[in-house]
Amino acid sequence: MSNVLRPYLSAVRSTLTAALTLEDFSSQVVERHNKPEVEVGASKEVLLNPLIISRNENERVLIEPSINSIRLSIKIKQADEIERILCHKFTRFMMQRAESFIVLRRKPVKGYDISFLITNHQTDTMLKHKIVDFIIQFMEEVDKEISEMKLSLNARARVVAESYLAAFNV
Amino acid sequence: MDVSFRKIDIDQYDEDALLVTELYEADPRDPAQALNDVKQKAAAVRSSLAKGDIVAALMLVLEDAPYGPHLDDAKVASLCANLHLQTLVSILNSTKSSEIPGVVKALSTDAQDTLMKYLYKGMALPGWGDVSGSVLLGWHEKLTEVAGTGCIVRAMTDRRLV
Amino acid sequence: MILLEPHNYIIQTTLAEKASQPSALDVQFVDFDGVRFRLTTPDRKVPTALVLSMSIGCWEELVRYGVLDIFKREYGSALRAEPEFGYNVSLDLNLEQFPPEGEQRDAYIKSLAMLKRNALAAPFERSFQAQRQLEAAGSGQGELMALHYRDEEVIYVQAAADRVTVIFSTMFREETDRVFGKVFLQEFVDARRLPTIQSAPQVLYTTRVPPLEIRHLQGLNDTEDVGYVTFVLFPRHFAKPDVAEATITHIQLFRDYLHYHIKCSKAYMHSRMRYRVSEFQKVLNRAKTEAAVGDRKTVSGRTMSTR
Repeated sequence: MSNVLRPYLSAVRSTLTAALTLEDFSSQVVERHNKPEVEVGASKEVLLNPLIISRNENERVLIEPSINSIRLSIKIKQADEIERILCHKFTRFMMQRAESFIVLRRKPVKGYDISFLITNHQTDTMLKHKIVDFIIQFMEEVDKEISEMKLSLNARARVVAESYLAAFNV
Repeated sequence: MDVSFRKIDIDQYDEDALLVTELYEADPRDPAQALNDVKQKAAAVRSSLAKGDIVAALMLVLEDAPYGPHLDDAKVASLCANLHLQTLVSILNSTKSSEIPGVVKALSTDAQDTLMKYLYKGMALPGWGDVSGSVLLGWHEKLTEVAGTGCIVRAMTDRRLV
Repeated sequence: MILLEPHNYIIQTTLAEKASQPSALDVQFVDFDGVRFRLTTPDRKVPTALVLSMSIGCWEELVRYGVLDIFKREYGSALRAEPEFGYNVSLDLNLEQFPPEGEQRDAYIKSLAMLKRNALAAPFERSFQAQRQLEAAGSGQGELMALHYRDEEVIYVQAAADRVTVIFSTMFREETDRVFGKVFLQEFVDARRLPTIQSAPQVLYTTRVPPLEIRHLQGLNDTEDVGYVTFVLFPRHFAKPDVAEATITHIQLFRDYLHYHIKCSKAYMHSRMRYRVSEFQKVLNRAKTEAAVGDRKTVSGRTMSTR
């Protein structure tokens, strides 16, 4: 892990660990319903203060805790048009597979690129520190993956252009 | 048939409905007085900083920090909160990273909690004033090491937003 | 495979096979740029007499630029006066008259497989001639020849006294294609700086804004999706006949080459993402606690179940 990224990730890790204290909670508004309060937003008293962790304007994480669920949204660094399109493709690819990523939300929160929704059902059946590990590893590798994809695109473009133009050399 | 009446939030007319203001006790000071306090503190902090006494400056800022949106005078309240944040950030920015653990240890638990709240507030406003993400992240890391996860939980649950 | 082949692979393999073992056939197939081919034996009893037909989008323009002369030169008497219905050009082939097996036959079959390339060569050959005339005259500009080879994409060829300018307009339907296309085209511009390919044609590209040469034309598309690529060919690229042939073969495939590699990159990205996502899946699966193993039984052998 690069030294620049470490304080950012460790802040996300500690905040997420603090926020992942969830318990079962039935809806106060509709009888016999039990839904993630952070998504419903109907009872103010069970929602906690949303926290933002940011490195700069373009890289930040929003953690919205509530009594039985937390929502974590990530804004991924996008320096230029290529990174923007690669990031969009990658997050879309992942969100289309949200079923197998139980904690992934199908749509990101507005202003962010990808969102996770962790409920008490998931913290009951899964190991909390491993969920945190997953989120951190995702954040770590998504940046790396996008920059690698960009490099490979540029390298390919170079080879393609050179071999086309070299064929004119007669 | 007009069905727009179905969209009306009838709960807001309920006498037992819970209001945001009932979730915490409001700052007893009125906004104008709080603003005055904040300005005085800013001056005191500058003199502490000039002497290089960071702990004293931090204690000063974190004690009786203005909190909560004043519904009657939200404009002055937000001005007040921003000015206070600016004062705090100036302290954070002028601290050497090697000194941070010592400073954090010297603070009381309440002051640590308030500091944590301000760190999150600062990170929510990247690029505002002279807020720098890396400085805040550095402080956040050291503060978590000293005060533990509980400090973050308290910042998360305390309704008295700074 | 980095470079695309200029000839049609199906024509080449089918003819090579039929030349040694003639049999009746009727196949239709396609090539780049919406070009359609049909290879048949009109009379089933005479399997050695074949007809090869081609339909191409911009036939009228090609005729105007002298494609028939090229076909007469390349294929001679094989060219039919009246093409098959639904096609623009037909060639009568007699397998019995094919050259003997070996290099000669391969060369002949290859030239048949280059039917599309030879059709698109028309405006280029004409512009190379025009350049020679203009060079002799000292100045002036040749006719601006437009070739609407696809629905929304055009090749423009224009001769000047010291060069021939070839402009491709190409559409990027998707935003991803547009961004990737930009990266590729920028590399085309940059690659020429390398000392090893200094003698390649000069490449320029613009998005949205048409180059000066064609700016006066009506009805140009100026949306974000369109890109213009300009190649400047100098006399050294077409002075000798064999070099000119190679240049034409190469440049008429540019659009297909560019888009082929954009598609390849997208496919590569996709396989990468698939791999990365499955890695993430493994990390998340580590968080799952072990499910209870099998059924639990009581001493008497009854199964416990949770309600």
